[in-house]
Formats: sequence, structure tokens, C-alpha cells
Amino acid sequence: MKSRLEQVRSDTAAVLKGRTELLKPLAGTHLVITGGTGFLGTWLLELIAALNADYQFNTRVTIYSRSSPDFIRRHKHLGSHKEFRFLEGDIRFLTELPHETDYIIHAAALTDRRLFASNPTAVGEVNGLGTIRLLRAASLLENLRNLLLVSSGLVYGPQLLSVERINELYSSGFPCDSANAIYAESKRFAEAFAASFVSETKIPLVIARPFAFVGPYQSLELPWAVTDFIRDSLAGRPIKIMGDGSTVRSLMYASDFAYWTLAALVRGQTRQAYNIGSPEPVDLLSLARMITQHFTPPPDILTKVGQSGYETTRLVPCVDKACRELGVQLTVPLAEAIQKTINWHRLSES
Amino acid sequence: MQPTPEKMKVAIVGTGNIGTDLLMKVLRSPWLECRLFAGRNLSSPGMMKADQMGVPVSGKGIQGIVQRRTEFDLVFDATSAEDHKRHAVILAELGLLAVDLTPAKVGKMCVPAVNLEECLEAQNVNMVSCGGQASIPLAFAIASVNQDIEYIETVSSIASRSAGPATRINLDEYLATTENGLAAFSRGTPTKAILNLNPAQPCVHMQTTVLAKIKNPDLEKTRAAVAAIVRKIQDYVPGYQLIVPPLIESNRLAVMVRVEGRGDYMPKYAGNLDIINCAAIAIAEAHARRNRP
Amino acid sequence: MKHQRIIVTDPTLRDGSHACSHQISVEQIRRYATAAEAAGVDYLEVGHGNGLGASSLQVGLSLVPEREMLATARACLKQTGLSVHVMPGFATAKREIANAIEVGVDLFRVGSHCTEADLTQRHISYVRNAGKEAWGVLMMTHMASKEVLLEESKKMQSYGAQGIMLMDSAGAAVPDDVKQKIGLLAEKLEVPVGFHAHNNLGLSVANSLAALEVGARILDGTARGFGAGAGNAPLELIVAAMQRLGYSCRADLYKVLDAGELAEELFAENLPVSNSITIVSGLAGVFSGFAKPVQRAAKQMGVDPRDVFVELGKRKVVGGQEDLILEVASELAARQKPVADGKPR
Repeated sequence: MKSRLEQVRSDTAAVLKGRTELLKPLAGTHLVITGGTGFLGTWLLELIAALNADYQFNTRVTIYSRSSPDFIRRHKHLGSHKEFRFLEGDIRFLTELPHETDYIIHAAALTDRRLFASNPTAVGEVNGLGTIRLLRAASLLENLRNLLLVSSGLVYGPQLLSVERINELYSSGFPCDSANAIYAESKRFAEAFAASFVSETKIPLVIARPFAFVGPYQSLELPWAVTDFIRDSLAGRPIKIMGDGSTVRSLMYASDFAYWTLAALVRGQTRQAYNIGSPEPVDLLSLARMITQHFTPPPDILTKVGQSGYETTRLVPCVDKACRELGVQLTVPLAEAIQKTINWHRLSES
Repeated sequence: MQPTPEKMKVAIVGTGNIGTDLLMKVLRSPWLECRLFAGRNLSSPGMMKADQMGVPVSGKGIQGIVQRRTEFDLVFDATSAEDHKRHAVILAELGLLAVDLTPAKVGKMCVPAVNLEECLEAQNVNMVSCGGQASIPLAFAIASVNQDIEYIETVSSIASRSAGPATRINLDEYLATTENGLAAFSRGTPTKAILNLNPAQPCVHMQTTVLAKIKNPDLEKTRAAVAAIVRKIQDYVPGYQLIVPPLIESNRLAVMVRVEGRGDYMPKYAGNLDIINCAAIAIAEAHARRNRP
Repeated sequence: MKHQRIIVTDPTLRDGSHACSHQISVEQIRRYATAAEAAGVDYLEVGHGNGLGASSLQVGLSLVPEREMLATARACLKQTGLSVHVMPGFATAKREIANAIEVGVDLFRVGSHCTEADLTQRHISYVRNAGKEAWGVLMMTHMASKEVLLEESKKMQSYGAQGIMLMDSAGAAVPDDVKQKIGLLAEKLEVPVGFHAHNNLGLSVANSLAALEVGARILDGTARGFGAGAGNAPLELIVAAMQRLGYSCRADLYKVLDAGELAEELFAENLPVSNSITIVSGLAGVFSGFAKPVQRAAKQMGVDPRDVFVELGKRKVVGGQEDLILEVASELAARQKPVADGKPR
């Protein structure tokens, strides 16, 4: 059986095979990733490590994160990579970036839903103030070629059930006067601030709006449907669905997520926003079935375990713009993404 | 020159891009020591950077300077023209030397390559403008070897990104300040200043052209005088380069320089901000040298 | 008539200044302004090619002092308004604008490079506070996307601009560009939008009509195209084409044709022509006003003026950076030296 790392390497090799030309502008440049130690950050580093090892990209990366020391311990192969430099710091106090920075991916943000509930003010402060700090520092760079602001698919507000997929122009009004709104509002503020900043300082800046993802390195502790389902299945427990399972999401595999993010960084046009995610809708019941079929005996799927008031929601992006303008495509279909993720969790560390 | 513990103690008021870049230059100087970095916004990037580097900071602006007045001898003012007009009175009362980087025009106009010695006698010196620092020495050199100069003009092009909102809104004052400076250092010749902002990416370095209408220009002498003053400027502005030596075209004498910044805090293309800061450091260091046997 | 009335602005005595190295005489101003008044153009723009305060060694000294030019035109105009071009960086509010207000200028067209609209805030406010009309002008508009142009023109609108002009200062646009850019502005702005063409690629009339088609309410045209580089959209042609297409304007076609005849006589030696230099200039996207100084510098330094344009285009120079012509020409000359010496490169 392969190790977890071997699987990740075969995933990165697969997503890059025949598709490195598009990322060529990254070669020989210096990239700064803020919040580079999360799920997306880890995958970005895996991809760049592969680009450096197999395609002679010689891309240097500076990672700015609060959890750099912990990351280096957990991911030794990335932590010791000679082209990667890890800085420990809080984005709220960032004042300067390396002078030789060519590209920036600003992914530092509080994204944990549990934190939205218990400490919503921190979410607002880190995501809002952090973006202000990062942009001010970026405006001092001489060679900045592009800055990718990682926003969120939640900036659109709730998707109407009658709308199949939401594109970059979608907007549904939603109230801003509740603590629940803080994450989406912090991202909306970050985008508006970024647009103002571009207007005032003319720095190049592109916005990515990621939706939902699945894959290795994603913590199963996160209370999201897909992580819940996989965790419970691995533990041999029944899967519990609060409603009738008709809520619809889409999930993109981690390697595609990272590749699309890099593509948006090097190919995205200033002032443009791009949805990043899978356009393939899946309802929660089907998703649960897709997961349980990888287990014997398959765990039970219990529906309607919650209140009857449970609301059916839908969140599926239209990604035509990204495919057309960035030249990207989905390479890992949902079924394969689920299978790969479960497999990874079953494998040993090394 | 060996740095000694007896550096001249200075303070900076104004913690924007200019003030912060100036701080980096003070920290590198073997003659100067920054004892206070004062502004009004304790969470400005410059203030946070100063604090992280262990420089004493104050969020009380000029009041911070007043409170610690005994701790330094010279204050750089990188706030705004309006603020400096108030600060100038306070600094004079405190008996502190003032180096003013705003276009307040309170103190004696100072262009180190031209009048450094005289400026050492002034309590308050004004650094004119970025275009003034780049063009005045050239105009001075031209005026020193040519008679019958009818008119002098300077044109600067700077990167759009190096001009912040304050520069943009005060464009007219910049032009007036630069014109006054040019006239003062070229025997009162009629002058004109022009500024262009270029948004090209990658950003253009600051370029300044001096154009002059002269009855019988002496090109040889002008070339020698310009070359000499360029060397003098390069002593304190390392990125100052002559790119078109004096030539005559369409009945006008033209000379062109480019200023590459040191990239201390501002990017290298912002030669316009670098040159005025380098000039401010030059006058402060001259005070420091004079005070030390 | 099926369309709203189009405002016709005539910058013959301003853009044409470039075509004759800023040597327009008092007599020429008097005679042309009289003809423009008779023709019924809404505004006549007068002054140095780069606008108020631009008479300089950098972009050329005007033959006639600014105040005299404006006063001469003022005396000839009654129904037609007197307009000036204003570029912050050349012109200051308290000196040149105040002076022009005193002389009796009606309309101030305050311009900046297409990405630098915030430079015009003070000047537009000053004009509006003085009770005069101010428009915002974005120059070299081939260098910015339609989104950027919208954002910049909204800035000008917020400063109080009562009209927005997009200038194709390099004559680099094709009708589809014009439709996209003018179309977006016409849709999103509250104030009327206009277009100012240059003819480097022979598209000045086509581009002007494309602008009208997507909602432009203001058009610039000069008599016989008397303007920088390959000239502007000829006033007589756009007024004729507008008549043909059913757009109304205040101008009288026959009188406009007369003004064209007069221009041919007045400016005979300097009427713009399309030639290899203006074509390369348009392709390189360089400000049309560079044509004369480039030819002069290229001749003195012994280099091909087309090479100078190509190099200037690479450097993305903007209007006002005429000093770079000298730098580029001397650099090209230095590069050529080894050949002149008979040594291989």
C-alpha cells in the first residue's frame, strides 16, 4: 500500500501532467503565501514543490502564517524544502513583505465555522484588518506582478434554489446585522477594500471565490457535511443527515483547487473575480451514499434527524468564466475525489 | 568612518511612507541616531515597523516631540505643509533644528549640492520638492557657466504608483514650490515646472529634464559644470545618474537625469521620494559632522 | 430627427497647434474663430496643443501668448462657447485657470492620462466654484480597459465634471474598441459622454460614428482634421455623416464646409497627412502630439523616426513626456554608432 505522501505526490503529478505551460510565469519568481499552512496552503506548496522538482520552476515561496512552526513539524518534506521560507506572524501586524516578491496569494483568514460562532469579532478583525495590512505592504513592492485575494463563494449571499449555478455577477440580498453574517461580510469588505485599493494605487489584483472542497490534508474535525460523513464512516458510525438530504453542494478535489488557484494568480486579469469550485451538484443523500459504498459493511444513513424546520439550501458555482479565461478544467470528478480522500485517510503517515 | 557612540540624536515626526523611509536612512547613518518616531497613528505600517525595530515611538505627534525635547537636537518633519507651519513655531521655541520635507516653505531652501554650508546656519531648512532636489543643482550648474539665460524649465516624470493621494491633490503647490526653488538658485531667471505621472508597469524610475533658453550657450563648460555637480549629488544620492549629458536641440539646452531610489522602505522606482530624503539626511549629517571635532 | 441633438466641439485652434509646432497666429485665430461662430459649432477650443500653461521648451513654445490667443477668439464668438484644454501638471488653478476665467472662457475640459483622473479633482472643483462649465477628459484611452475608464470617469463625475470625453490621443483605436468603451460609459454615467478621434489608422470618422451609435452625445472634430499627428476627425466629414445618419446638431453643414475651406487656406502648409510616421505612431500607441518633435529629434540625431516611435511605444510614454524623445533618439543614435564607424554590431 502506498503512503499518504505517495498518494499526494501522484495527485500533484496527475494534475500537473501536460498542464504546466499555463503556470510558466511562476518559474523563477518569488511567491508569498499568507496563511500558507492551511488546507489550500499545504496543497499550493505540494504543487510548487512538484513544479520545482519535476519541471525546474525554481519558484521560491515565503509562507507567512501564525502556525508556521507547527506546520514545519507536521509536514517535514515541505518544512525542509530549500525553496520555502516560513515566517511566523499574525497578519494583523504585518508591515512589510520581502522586497523581491513577484506574486502574492492572500489566503490568511479565519475560516473555521466554529470560530464564527464563538469568536465572531476575531473573524471580522483578522479577515478585514489582515487584508488592509497585506495590501498596504503590497503597495510598497516594486516587482509585484499579481496579487490573488482569496475571498469566498459566500459573498454572493444565499443561492436561490431556482438558480442552478451562480456566476460571478450573482447577488442575493442578505442581512448584515447578525453575528452569523460576519464571515461573509468580512470577505465582502475585503473585496470592496481591494477594489478601492486598486483604484487608488493601481496595484495588480485578482479575486478568487472558492466554494467547497474535499481531499487529503483537510481536517476531519471540521463540522462540514463531507468531513462529518467521512469521519463517521471511518469510525464505523452511522451518517446523520439533519434534513431530508436534499441540500445541494458541489465539491472540488484539493489538487484541482490548488491548480486553479495558481492559474488565477498567473492568468487572472486585474479587477476580475473568478469562482473556483466544482460545477457538479450533489445532494447530501447522494454524497453520503457515495461515501458509504467504500465501506463494508456500509454505515447506515439516517435522514431527518434534525428539526423539521431544517432548511434545504443550495450552493453550486458556475465556473465557465474561470474555464474560459484561466484555461483550467476539472480533472478529478466527484466520485474519484471521494474515493481518493477516503483512501488517503486509511493510509499510514509514511 | 567608524560609527561612534556619540551620534547626533534626531527625531522624526510623520510616519507615512516618507517618514518611514527616512527612518531607515537614519538607522543606517553612522552619524545619526533616531530617538523618537512620532506620528498620530500608532497602527500605521511605519509606526509598527519602527516599534518592531526597537525605535521609541509616540502616537502624540508634535506633542510627543515637545514632551521629550531634551532627548534630541534635530527634528525631521515629514507631515504636511499645513502641519509644519504650526510645528515650525514650536520647534523654533524649543531651540531644535528643523529639517522640513513638506512644501511649507517656512525655512531656508536647502539643496545640499548647492548650498549646504549656508544651510548649517539656519534653524529651519526646507527641502523644496523632489523635482527641485533633482533639477536645481543642474540649473545652478548651467547658470554658473552661462550668461544671458532667458528661461529655465524642468520636467519630471514619476511612476504613478509613487504619487499618493496627498501628492496628487497638491500638484499645483508642487509646481509652484519647484518653480520658486529653480528661480532662487538660477539668479531669478523665469522658470516653469511640469510634472507627468506615468502608470506604466513595471514602474518607471523618476526622470528629470532641465531645459534652458540661453543666448550663447557654452556647451563645453556646461558639460563640465554639470558633470561636476552630478558627482557631488551622487555623494548623497547614490541612484542619481546623468542619462543625457547637456546637448543643444531645437535652440534649447537640455540635460536629463534619472533617479533610482535605494529601496529602503519605498520601492526603487520611487526615486522622487528617495532623493528628498537623501538630501534631508545630507544636511542632518553635515550638522552632526560639524558638532563633532 | 431620430436622435438627441449632438454637441459638436471644435478644437481646431487647440489640437491644430500641434500640427504647426504651436505657431498659430492671431490672424489665423481671428479668421477661423469667426468662421466657427458662423458654422455654429457649440464650442471652439483654443490654445496650446497641450492646453493651458503648456507653452514650454518641453512641448514647444506658443507663438502667441495664451491670454492673447483666448482674448482674440473671445472677441469673435457669440453663440459658440469658448473652450480650453487643461492638463494638471502643466496648468495650475490659481494661475492659468483663473486667468482664463478672466478672459471669458466658458468651458474647461480638464484632462489627465486615462488612469490618473484624481489629478483633476482640484482643477474641476475650481472651475465649478467659479461658476463655469467643466468636463473631464481622459487621454490616451487605448491604454486602459473599459472598466478602468469607467472608474476614472466616475471619479471626474464625482468632482463635478458635467461631461466626459474619451480621447483616442494616439489614434490607436478601432471602432469596436470605441463601441465597448463609449458604450459602457454612456450606459453607466449620468453626464453626457463624448469622443475625440485621431486619424493615424484612417479610422477617425468611423470611430466617431461608432461612438454616436452607442450613445455618445458629444463629438470633437477639427476643420480639415487640423490636429496632431495624422489629424483628427475632419469636422466637415462628421457633420456631413451625421446629417446622412439623421443625427441633429446646431452646426450648419454649408457653413462648416466653408470653415473647412478657410482652414485649408489658413493652415495650408501644415495640414495633417497620413504617412509612414503617423501610421507607425498609431500602431505603437504613442501620443499624436509627438509627431513633430520626433521628426525634429530623429533628423538631428540621424535615426529613423519610426524606430523612435516604436521605442517610445514600448516605454508606454504618456502625453507630456516629450523629453523622452531626446533620450530615446540619443540612445538609438548611440546604438547605431558602430555601424557608422564601419564596425560590425
